[in-house]
Amino acid sequence: MKVSLFFVIAAALMMRSVSLQAADKSAGEALYKDACAQCHGPKAQGMASFPSLSGRDAEYITSRLETYRAGEKVGSNSFLMIPNATDLSDDDIANLAAFIADVEE
Amino acid sequence: MSHKPTLRPLSAFIASAMIIGLPAVATANEPELSQSEVLTGLENPWDMAFLPDGTMFYTERCLGLSVRLPDGVVEHLLGMEGTEEYAITADDLVCEGQAGMNGVAIDPDFDENRTVYVYSASTMSEPRTNRVLRMTVNSEFTEVSDRTDIVEDIPYKPAATDHPFGDAGAHNGGRIRFSPEDGYLYVTTGDNHNSEIPQSPELIGGKVLRIDRDGEAAEGNEPPEGFDPRIYTYGHRNVQGITFHPSTGQPIVTEHGPWHSDEINALVNGGNSGWDPKPNMAGRGDCPDDYCGYEPNQTEGMDPKERAAYMPVTDFETYPDAMQPAWKNDGLSQGISSAEFLVGEQWGDWDGRLIVGFMGIGFGGTPVGQRINLIDIAEDGLSVNDVTELPVPMGAARFRSIVLGPEGDLYMAVDEGSIYRITPE
Repeated sequence: MKVSLFFVIAAALMMRSVSLQAADKSAGEALYKDACAQCHGPKAQGMASFPSLSGRDAEYITSRLETYRAGEKVGSNSFLMIPNATDLSDDDIANLAAFIADVEE
Repeated sequence: MSHKPTLRPLSAFIASAMIIGLPAVATANEPELSQSEVLTGLENPWDMAFLPDGTMFYTERCLGLSVRLPDGVVEHLLGMEGTEEYAITADDLVCEGQAGMNGVAIDPDFDENRTVYVYSASTMSEPRTNRVLRMTVNSEFTEVSDRTDIVEDIPYKPAATDHPFGDAGAHNGGRIRFSPEDGYLYVTTGDNHNSEIPQSPELIGGKVLRIDRDGEAAEGNEPPEGFDPRIYTYGHRNVQGITFHPSTGQPIVTEHGPWHSDEINALVNGGNSGWDPKPNMAGRGDCPDDYCGYEPNQTEGMDPKERAAYMPVTDFETYPDAMQPAWKNDGLSQGISSAEFLVGEQWGDWDGRLIVGFMGIGFGGTPVGQRINLIDIAEDGLSVNDVTELPVPMGAARFRSIVLGPEGDLYMAVDEGSIYRITPE
């Protein structure tokens, strides 16, 4: 049983890794410009009281977007992020994370 | 860097029609706009103020006060906590949430006294406050000195609350402008997500102050009896724009709405703008952290008209004598910010038009709405005759500050980190 569980977790981690590698950064950029740049800035540098995403890795961005998509609050701007994340697919999140993690300020 | 938008040939067509004898149906004289980037790579530029020779003082919300000289040289004058490369640093000036260093104004007698003013959050008092600082600039524009805080007690939101944008430091107002009509300094403030503040006679948040250059109440302020004499108008939510009508001198402000009804208000001395987000009044019950400003549903979308009926920005039922807004952004809230009048023949048909910037906020089905509106406001300030959009070359951005420069061009600071110069041709 323990061995089976190990393989399940290992397989899941591998799939996650493959998913990140396969992410489409240009699709992420298009989605970012459409839905994120007005608050977080064209280079994810943050604007006004909206936080900078610069320097955040793909794992962090993915985790936060999945949290918002699940309707869970994180911080005082959750009321904006939850509706923005609700309709994101796994691919959308992977693409966004890949673009944001690589954007140069 | 310069860019021209696609031209609109209506005026050319009409001119041609007149030349060849066709009946002219209209006479549009709208300038084409070109753009140049004055400064870029800034961090949240918040406001600008100009000397006649083009010298531009500007603030960055979390960095401090700088000046750009006509030859393009930039001097960093007054830094905030944690900054480097400024001539002096004031560790009490802080940046948190929406708060930081905001408006900047130049003394009308700068040639004689070399005095500038800025609005900033400060930890000098406990709890912290927003302040108006007065300083002297040296002849080389490399240093400021003689700091005097002429207003020390503008309320500051000290801790987070259960509201949208609910972090500490919210709703500070922060624009400061000298009236060319009366020479007094007007200071706009915000409600801090605190329902007691806007209608309070003593707390000077949610107000427009009118003061002299020492911070004393201006002669002729007419707030209700018992109010702080510095108060010119009260009952505001978060005023981030103020300008003065070019022919009447009347102060005109922009006021952020709460998920509905951004407002433009022409101020009347002693007037109430009618914002009162207290719980257990005007048909409301309890509200999160005793502030009903985003009710009846502060985290999910709903019809802005229903919101306006429940929590009006101008509550005429409770305050029948409240000032009449000239415009309410068609019932939407999209982050209305700075205001300015276009003045001069170079603006053609737009000479005398009010312009207001929108930073944009998309919530609950409301379009984000980043733009500059061009508004023909009625001379009595009680309505608008026409609202269109200024076709600015840079396109959409978070338009934070709009200032008419000394040569009649328009300067715009955007949160993206640039200050643009817009020239009519």
